[in-house]
Amino acid sequence: MLGDPEAWTEAAHNDCHVPFDVVLSDPALEFSDLYRLVDVYAVRAIRVTIPAAPGLTKAIRLAAALRLPVRVLPGQPSPDVLKELHDALELYLHEPTVEAPVEFFHSLLATMCDGDADSLWMILEEDPDAFHYYVADGQTRVPRTGDSGGPEIASAGFVDNHLSRLIAQGAECATCPWQQPCRGYFKWPDPAYSCEGVKQLFFSIQTAGNEIRRDVASLEASDTGILSESGEVTR
Amino acid sequence: MSERVFSVILLPTSDCNVACDYCFEHKEPHRLSLVMLPLLTRRLLDHIENEHIEECEIYWQGGEAMIMGPAWFEKAGEIMDRAAAERGRRFVHYLQTNLIGYSPTWNGVIRGMFDGSLGTSMDYPNIHRKLFKGGAAAYTKLWSTRLREAKAAGIAVGVIAVLHKGSLEVGPERFYRYFTEELGLSDFQVNTPFPGGPAKEVAGGFQLDSSELAEFMIGLFDIWMAEGYESGVSVGPFDALIDHFTGKQARLPCIWKENCSNQFISVDAKGSVAQCDCWVTSYPEYFFGNMFREPDLTGMLKTSRARRDFVERPKRLVEDEDCLSCRYLSICHGGCPVRTYSALGTMMAKDPYCEVYKAVFACAEAHGGDILRARAAPIISLRERHKAADPCVVN
Repeated sequence: MLGDPEAWTEAAHNDCHVPFDVVLSDPALEFSDLYRLVDVYAVRAIRVTIPAAPGLTKAIRLAAALRLPVRVLPGQPSPDVLKELHDALELYLHEPTVEAPVEFFHSLLATMCDGDADSLWMILEEDPDAFHYYVADGQTRVPRTGDSGGPEIASAGFVDNHLSRLIAQGAECATCPWQQPCRGYFKWPDPAYSCEGVKQLFFSIQTAGNEIRRDVASLEASDTGILSESGEVTR
Repeated sequence: MSERVFSVILLPTSDCNVACDYCFEHKEPHRLSLVMLPLLTRRLLDHIENEHIEECEIYWQGGEAMIMGPAWFEKAGEIMDRAAAERGRRFVHYLQTNLIGYSPTWNGVIRGMFDGSLGTSMDYPNIHRKLFKGGAAAYTKLWSTRLREAKAAGIAVGVIAVLHKGSLEVGPERFYRYFTEELGLSDFQVNTPFPGGPAKEVAGGFQLDSSELAEFMIGLFDIWMAEGYESGVSVGPFDALIDHFTGKQARLPCIWKENCSNQFISVDAKGSVAQCDCWVTSYPEYFFGNMFREPDLTGMLKTSRARRDFVERPKRLVEDEDCLSCRYLSICHGGCPVRTYSALGTMMAKDPYCEVYKAVFACAEAHGGDILRARAAPIISLRERHKAADPCVVN
């Protein structure tokens, strides 16, 4: 619908505050249409969901310039798209003009700062136990199964079962330092997907998280001293 | 109810009482009659109701707005405000005038309708704003007298200055001192010139070299930061940029909006509707329609082919220009359509002052960083003292 200016004009005139999740299907072609959301964003909450596909960085750049929150669905990114993900992460981490959250970077960074682990499945709203995606017959479907044949019906405990299966099969998840926040996310639907590139993403986020944690710790330590000095708190 | 702001630049006349060299307007004697005002008011209220907007800002300018006289404004304000109140809406009025026609008889309406403030214009040095008789020097003298009178009457006056070659020659320091010390102003704004409308030939000579203009703007920014920022002097657009770069809510000027077509329109005395005063007075090929002939402003804005160009412009710029890779895209969006159109004959290109804006943004970012660091300095200094005093900390 992003290509339909009339729809967005209507949405901007509507006084209903239902939030929108605007899903791009081809970011390379559709990124500039994000300008159509400017009026709508003034009257309701909007999030832009962008698949990891060519043009991803362009879409994130523009969404960030328009202060629109973003959810990137990385799936199992190809090498070209991985390069874009790295560029997008760099933009998110180090460009001060980026104000709105870019998921999954944002929650993963928070996870790595405070150690309170949430998995990518939850962050990206793809854990079938928590988020139900219904198919035509009313059953729930595991996300990202459409491209690899028929829909797989979600069973309870899908993520735990998936990770256990991967470990039993000797997948690299067993020794991966980011097993907890990932929980086999990048090994779905193809368990043979090589995580070499995505591990670099995790590493960059972990590094930034460590820096923040160190800074906060040093700040807290010196604040305790400052407060003690002024007599308000005694150690 | 939406929190969006909708503004109308309303030109009750295109007629003017002075003869400035670079005026981009087609001066016409036509005046908005009080007979037509209720219809115009109804159309505006219908539109803001359709858009779920509670409040509409009306920027009265011209031509020269004061030509209409204080009694006319008093009646016009009454008509509009009563109609708005009956529909649970509100107009907020602003006045932009050259001040030449100001006299104490205006004080009542300025206090009542315009909340005791007005906007006016003056350049430094003034060589282009002229009276029909007496030229620029006489204009400056008369305008300065009017300014003093208005200020003495307790009216808050903001001034817009258009930069020209002479401004760049005198340099930012003299420029700043003229407005703050000679005129005693605490609120002024600098605008870049553009060669629009019937003045295109003359105004062609106003095209300024980008690097010289950038140097001037940065110089002015630095002087304001050193001398005015903390002592309550407001210089636009620098003040809004400092707000932005220090994390405050900033109301940036229209030239840097995501899409100015979302924010305002301009209506002239004949009911013509266009994007802003620059378009409604200079480029009839870009009129959206006529308020008096078309019953539905909302419909007009939705279907106008001319307006579609404005709506689509930012989208085209991120596709075709280098705006997407610019780190200041979020506060510029390709700049002003009318500046682009008047210089290049198309609005589907980025603003010709792109390099000037980038230099100003970088300057604002640096000053903003300094302010944030200075705010943090007392805490950092305490921390450093604590570290130095703590034998457990090895530096």
